[in-house]
Amino acid sequence: MGEGAAGARSCPGTFARAWAKAVAGTSYLPMTEAQLESLLQRLTERLAAAIQAEPFDLRIGQQVGAELVAAHIASAEGLGRTVEVIQLRLVRDLGLVADEVEDRMARLLATVATGYARALRDRTLDEQESIRRAAMVARAQAERALRDSEARFRHQATHDPLTELPNRTLFTERLSAAIDEPGRGADRVGVCFLDLDRFKVVNDSLGHQVGDSLLVSVAQRLRRALGEHLVARLGGDEFVILVERTACTDDAVKVAEAALAVVSEPALVDGHELTVSASIGIVERQVAGTSPGELMRAADSTLHWAKAAGGARWALFDADRNRRELARYALSAAIPTALDRGEFYLDYQPLTSLRNGRVLGMEALVRWRHPELGVLRPDSFIGLAEETGLIVRLGGWVLAEACREAEGWSAGHDDPPFVSVNLAVRQVHRPGLVQEVRGVLRQTGLPPDRLQLEITESTMMSTAEEPVRALRVLADQGVRIAIDDFGTGYCNLAYLRDLPVTELKVAGEFVAGLRAPAADPGSRTDERILASLVSLAHALDLTVTAEGVETAEQADRLRAIGCDAGQGWHFGRPAPADRFLAQWA
Amino acid sequence: MQRPDWAPDTIDIERPSVARMYDYYLGGSHNFAADRAAARAMVEAVPEAPLMAQANRAFLRRAVQFLADSGVRQFLDIGSGIPTVGNVHEIAQRIDPESRVIYVDVDPVAVAHSREILHGNDRATVIQEDLRRPEAILGHPEVTKLLDFSQPVAVMIVAVLHFIPDSDRPEEILRTLRAALAPGSHLVMSQASDDGRRETGERAEAERVYRRTDNQLWIRSRAELAALFDGFELVDPGVVWVPQWRPESPEQAENAEQAVFMGGVGRLGG
Repeated sequence: MGEGAAGARSCPGTFARAWAKAVAGTSYLPMTEAQLESLLQRLTERLAAAIQAEPFDLRIGQQVGAELVAAHIASAEGLGRTVEVIQLRLVRDLGLVADEVEDRMARLLATVATGYARALRDRTLDEQESIRRAAMVARAQAERALRDSEARFRHQATHDPLTELPNRTLFTERLSAAIDEPGRGADRVGVCFLDLDRFKVVNDSLGHQVGDSLLVSVAQRLRRALGEHLVARLGGDEFVILVERTACTDDAVKVAEAALAVVSEPALVDGHELTVSASIGIVERQVAGTSPGELMRAADSTLHWAKAAGGARWALFDADRNRRELARYALSAAIPTALDRGEFYLDYQPLTSLRNGRVLGMEALVRWRHPELGVLRPDSFIGLAEETGLIVRLGGWVLAEACREAEGWSAGHDDPPFVSVNLAVRQVHRPGLVQEVRGVLRQTGLPPDRLQLEITESTMMSTAEEPVRALRVLADQGVRIAIDDFGTGYCNLAYLRDLPVTELKVAGEFVAGLRAPAADPGSRTDERILASLVSLAHALDLTVTAEGVETAEQADRLRAIGCDAGQGWHFGRPAPADRFLAQWA
Repeated sequence: MQRPDWAPDTIDIERPSVARMYDYYLGGSHNFAADRAAARAMVEAVPEAPLMAQANRAFLRRAVQFLADSGVRQFLDIGSGIPTVGNVHEIAQRIDPESRVIYVDVDPVAVAHSREILHGNDRATVIQEDLRRPEAILGHPEVTKLLDFSQPVAVMIVAVLHFIPDSDRPEEILRTLRAALAPGSHLVMSQASDDGRRETGERAEAERVYRRTDNQLWIRSRAELAALFDGFELVDPGVVWVPQWRPESPEQAENAEQAVFMGGVGRLGG
């Protein structure tokens, strides 16, 4: 027997060491040299047995080949070197003796190569399959991660971070879908635009943190109460509810009522028991013929109606009202441009002496020659100008223009009429009034006593001292101050004590009564009121002008009462100043 | 869950991966045509490439054996690649089944494959992260769950550093990792080096091959690699060609510089 039979299992022989050296480096072998030699020694013993076994056993060589591969001695080079070392050295190194040894060696090598190649092929296929599966898993994960991140990004882009409610973007998408999706034309849709009443007070008094918590609480309540309907936060304290597939307007109203009810529930917010209310603008209509933008605008203006009506309520969109407001809005927006383009001009109406028929003064009345709407009278735009504050600029123009024209009336006359200009509340309350009037008088050269400023009683409702002081300064310089529409406004006569008033213009309402026969009881009452006003005025050393005088009879009766002057159609309708100046000459 | 900003949008197996090229050098079949084409081009330029990979893998095996014999029971293998033959957990858990191993790789396919291999092993797991984000690795829930940083941990950064350019501040990455480690922890590093080697154009060619992958090669000298062990005491024999690091026989250390990789093991004192 050779050394293989004699050597211990753990002690590799010459052949096993040579074999280990031959396969080292053919591929990575995850073991120490000693482990490798020990493994190959074991396989050597099996090969030796195979050479000598009777009958020849195919399986031994195949198993050895497979075991080599399993031990990671798994490469083409590994097989080549193994075949070489077995053929050259196995029989010799182990001193093996067998019949037909060459024949047996050839068969042994064939079986080792077969087992090895089969195992390596299986292993390669397995590894290929496992790496492909890993690539597939990795790809699925990468795609899922991408989808997740897209979904997360989409969520962030379409939700309000504070309340987690959908934001304007998502709401607009859903509203657009509800309107524009094919087949929705016959549907109806409702939008409830909700805004908390006096939310600013919460923010200002309790801080923004409590304000934010309140918004979160309101959002939760709305979502809870209106679960099936999309509730979005548009920003600030504005929320909006989409009511899809309404059958009628009442469906949207019910949603709004539920929203108002749930918002007004008392709630504990950051330790504060808060009760808030909300206002809602409701628009509900057929999908066909509307657009998301139009619906949102309509809901927004309707919300303002609810607010203007005092809040804590809903308002329903009214197309006529909206049209009127839009027209008014368009008109007010056009005032600055119209001023720049010189579209305004003045007409005048005479204030005529009831004693001798002389024109004492003329009231300037502003007109707007609108390029599309024609000539507009003040009642169609002054109210707007007052609301928007544009009255200051427009009133300033009227004052300057009236003074400029009035200065021209003196040519060739000893005692030309004064010009009477209306001052709006905002103009009187403006700090620069005195300077403005002085400046205009200086620039135009109009003497102060030929300017009369008409203010309404309501102008004096404010207890502010500044306007009174300003008017007194102007009166001291000779400017006439008249109370317009006397008797219809704020009838606290106390201001007559403080104000440097020179004239009372009695409202046309009282004068209108004088048209009826003198025997009519109503007419008699008006006449008595007028007589009292005249005697009151005269007692205070004020002159009285009656407005709205339309007939000669009215003029006669006013003259009989002792009224100083009259204004109205009887004396002349508003017209360019020239007409009256010619008369007067 | 935040999606890592380095994660690819999808998996492109048409693009060679360094992990799968490495597997090919080691004789594995966990690779695709593009990996094999790139690996063959590398072998064309640098015929020793497979031997380099094998020598490096053998270094890893000896280092883990050494650490396990020294009593280390926790391993954090960053840049573990395709975990084919001779995994850290196989070596470590053969010595002590209680050994805990975290594999980290940036390659999603390598991670998916590792997860498959580790399925059912509750003391070894894999996470997808980048060596360049050490805080993310240290703070990863799987890492904090499995590893106890109050006990020694062996951090393995084997055959990875040459994919990290100086501009990524490797010294800061290592400082961050070191700060998390308890005394008795170890750092195992190896990387491609040209220390003392003649400029043969091989380096340029190797760099050209790796430009086709997602990872460029950044060769470092022995001194540069040794400097990255800052704060650790180098275990004998220090930073050497990897076959020279505690070889099992003198023959193994012959022609060691042909292995191209230099490596070493450092111990955190205190």
